Amino acid sequence: MQNNYDIVVIGGGSAGLASAIKASKYGLKVAIIERDNKLGGILNQCIHNGFGLSYFKQELTGPEYANKFIQMLDGTNIDVYLNTTVLEIKKHFEILTISPKGLEKIVCKGIVLATGCRERPSGAINLCGSRPAGIISAGSAQKIVNLQGKMIGKDIVIVGSGDIGLIMARRLRFEGANVIGVYEIMPYPSGLKRNIVQCLDDYNIPLHLSKTVVEVVGKDRVKGVFVAPVKNDFSFDLDKREFIKCDTIVLSIGLTPSNELANQLGLKQNPLTNGCVVDEYLQTSTSGIFSCGNGLHVHDIVDNVTRESERAGENCAKYVLGQLNTTTPHSVYFGDGLRYVNPSVFYEGDEILTINFRSSKIYKNADIIVKSKDKEIRKINKKIILPAEMESVIISKKDIVGDLIVTIKEHKDE
Amino acid sequence: MQKYDVAIFGAGIVGAFIFDTLTLKGLKCVLIDKGEDVCLGASKANSGIIHAGYDCARDTLKAKFNVLGNKMYPEIAKRLGEPIGECGSLVVGDKDSLLILTELLNRGMYNGVKNLEILDRSGLEKLEKNLNKNIAYGLYAKDAKIISPYHFTIALVEESLLNGGEIKLNYNVNSIQRQNDGYLISDGKENFMANYIVNACAEGVNEIGSLVGEPAIPLTYTKGEYVLLDKDEFGLACRPIFPTPTKNSKGILACPTVNGNTFFGPTAEDIKEYETSVTLSGINKIKTSILKMIDNVNFKRIIKLYAGVRVKTGDDFYINFNENKNYFVIAGICSPGLSAAPAIAEYVANSLIEKGLQVKAIKFTPRRPYTNILKLSNQELSNLIKKDKNYGDIVCNCEKVTKGEILEVLNRTPFKLTTDGIKRRLRVTMGRCQGSFCYPRLIKIMADYYNCDEKEICFRGKESLIVCDIKEGGIYAE
Ligand SMILES: Cc1cc2nc3c(=O)[nH]c(=O)nc-3n(C[C@H](O)[C@H](O)[C@H](O)COP(=O)(O)OP(=O)(O)OC[C@H]3O[C@@H](n4cnc5c(N)ncnc54)[C@H](O)[C@@H]3O)c2cc1C
Ligand SMILES: Cc1cc2nc3c(=O)[nH]c(=O)nc-3n(C[C@H](O)[C@H](O)[C@H](O)COP(=O)(O)OP(=O)(O)OC[C@H]3O[C@@H](n4cnc5c(N)ncnc54)[C@H](O)[C@@H]3O)c2cc1C
Repeated sequence: MQNNYDIVVIGGGSAGLASAIKASKYGLKVAIIERDNKLGGILNQCIHNGFGLSYFKQELTGPEYANKFIQMLDGTNIDVYLNTTVLEIKKHFEILTISPKGLEKIVCKGIVLATGCRERPSGAINLCGSRPAGIISAGSAQKIVNLQGKMIGKDIVIVGSGDIGLIMARRLRFEGANVIGVYEIMPYPSGLKRNIVQCLDDYNIPLHLSKTVVEVVGKDRVKGVFVAPVKNDFSFDLDKREFIKCDTIVLSIGLTPSNELANQLGLKQNPLTNGCVVDEYLQTSTSGIFSCGNGLHVHDIVDNVTRESERAGENCAKYVLGQLNTTTPHSVYFGDGLRYVNPSVFYEGDEILTINFRSSKIYKNADIIVKSKDKEIRKINKKIILPAEMESVIISKKDIVGDLIVTIKEHKDE
Repeated sequence: MQKYDVAIFGAGIVGAFIFDTLTLKGLKCVLIDKGEDVCLGASKANSGIIHAGYDCARDTLKAKFNVLGNKMYPEIAKRLGEPIGECGSLVVGDKDSLLILTELLNRGMYNGVKNLEILDRSGLEKLEKNLNKNIAYGLYAKDAKIISPYHFTIALVEESLLNGGEIKLNYNVNSIQRQNDGYLISDGKENFMANYIVNACAEGVNEIGSLVGEPAIPLTYTKGEYVLLDKDEFGLACRPIFPTPTKNSKGILACPTVNGNTFFGPTAEDIKEYETSVTLSGINKIKTSILKMIDNVNFKRIIKLYAGVRVKTGDDFYINFNENKNYFVIAGICSPGLSAAPAIAEYVANSLIEKGLQVKAIKFTPRRPYTNILKLSNQELSNLIKKDKNYGDIVCNCEKVTKGEILEVLNRTPFKLTTDGIKRRLRVTMGRCQGSFCYPRLIKIMADYYNCDEKEICFRGKESLIVCDIKEGGIYAE
């Protein structure tokens, strides 16, 4: 393989695959660098189905979804580096990689960061008590059960209602475990509605909202947990705490973009997503570096990752070819009801603009309103808006006269 | 039967220093611990500070050994290839703190501490960027240093093992008998002899003491809880920053580690039984105290909570050599025990030599530090991967630890390691994701190396199993 490319895509998960394939359609020389020994990323351990409903109009498992893209590579001249980790990116795009073959320098003109996300550790929720064996993140549990063919315990408490935790609740039940319940600190679940129904309700696994684990008990192996109700001010009602006997605690307490390389490069970060600040092309604060997928902001549906990443690949190609229009920028702000919005910047033109965001709480019968200079450009009525599900609005840039602001407004009368 | 000059009980920093000091003087020593690894007590969960020595009361063993130990550390660190941060330390306070800081300075000078200086706000700002606006003065102790206490303990034990020392782990001694030609020591399975016994068992000191027929030493326990932050927060404190001390404790500090993290703690909670759980009230105390001292703190960046226990007997260390019995006891080594440990070891060695133990010159074999790919130049790393491709295979993404490094440590450690043991040696699973990516693979690599099933790999002791077979339906299936 050569070490000179037009575009290097870092990460070979669903985001990396989609952006590399799109970019190569522009006749450019593209490489994917993946640290694992196979492509597909997190999808490889998601052996459940539910992937591809929107993009392929069929229900696939994670590996099947990934394979569709891996097969598409055949028709391209994309170079794939496996078992290869990017250690460092120098300005003007010299990439240092490490693999069992050695260190390598790769030079390129454009970069797509598709490095995925990682799970938050127990410290992030200040999990108190002892620190025995038997506390495991949902992603680790998924890898051990699905890929290494081992089990993680028998009586299991799940902390946090993230999607992986919900999926694992069902998976562990399948393998004969007693899944005692899912405890969520917030008054609403953080996972998708369909996962609550298909993974918990269908198997009679209780979901406890506004309740959390306040203490772990056990010296060598987990012996149990104390759970307590959470008050409105997020303090714990310790008078009502109760002991639950269990031998395993699975943590599903949130994902956060893997932004090490971005930080190393000093790319501007968005504290609300923990990913990069990007413009409508998914370009970061350094021209020529693009970010997409879970490495940009955590997605719940892979089909959206694919679509977003195709745009990143396409725009990176246009950047390399000098075709990216970045004149007359405007900002995208968010107001009431939103936790964050992506992108932060767009440019005048006549194409369409995709805006992604998450709400800050559950809204029933509410309007998503997009305004530009007080002019309402778009209003979408939604029966329900959930923080767990990323929303998007697509607008035509022709209608826009300046900066945009997105808000959510609940219909008071209902 | 195997016979040793000295049997040292307790493989914490104190026991490890004594073991190493005596071994390098040519004495035949054995280090014994009831745990499955070395360094499972206070020495693995403390602040890692080599104090300057201003804080200890005048004319105490604490003061004496702390000041001496502090001077010894840099050379030992160099010999072991262990990192040491010569960053100094600060005690800071508001506009009314000058009196207390001056008293500390005077006490320090009395104790023989050099390089102490009181700084005003502008002096402090040259050293630290995140001090709260109420902080007006600080005592700067240039001689304070930071180390990784568990890594240091492990390195000391390794060095002794390379130079003729022996170790017995998982050894639950149940009888110690004085015979004409020394002590007969037994756990009911394995017996051996030793001329001298050194008891450095901290919380277990009376377990050994009673077997030797010594009266119990009264012990009290004070727990210290900590929070550890993501490496992104490094620089919040460039050196240990203490509040002005109270009678009971040096207070909750902000401190960097030699590995590039920042931590806050410890609390000082008197407890009845030795246990290391972390409490909500402890964490809240840490947060409140730190905010009074440091700005720009982001508690969302906490990745780990932990705690250690100070074992005390009275106000000072208790170090006693019963010459009739050939029995040394080193007890109540609370803070600044880490700082004092090399000097305590030297004192123990000298006492034993005075009593008649013969020093012998040894052919010194230096300890090679563990390979750390992050410390190699690109050229060195390339060459290493060419020789062994495992050094190019990253297992822990957060801390960038390779399969080669893991195999190297498994290979050179003469006993079976736990995942926690590997973690303390190499930092694998110790980074910001705390092993959520690499833990499954680490277990697999260890099982392959030990040629056992993954379910036989433990987190800590034998009871701390991690995974089990799927069809059995659970680790604790009835
Ligand atoms: C456990 C889980 C369950 C899910 N379940 C569903 C579901 O049921 N249905 C659905 O539609 N969606 C689901 N999703 C969402 C969706 O599948 C993911 O969001 C999507 O696959 C993420 O793709 P990605 O490429 O951004 O990240 P990843 O798949 O994480 O890919 C990132 C890749 O980058 C590599 N990498 C990172 N850093 C480096 C580096 N420095 N050098 C080289 N390589 C690097 C990583 O090894 C990884 O392979 C789930 C997500 C998760 C996490
Ligand atoms: C919160 C906290 C913060 C501290 N900060 C600092 C600091 O910054 N600087 C400083 O200088 N000092 C500090 N200290 C003090 C320092 O950590 C201790 O003084 C030191 O670690 C004590 O070492 P040790 O070897 O005596 O005990 P330990 O490390 O507890 O080792 C005792 C060993 O004995 C073994 N053992 C027990 N019973 C038996 C038995 N019956 N048979 C065999 N083995 C047995 C145990 O398994 C253990 O391995 C701190 C302490 C705490 C708790």
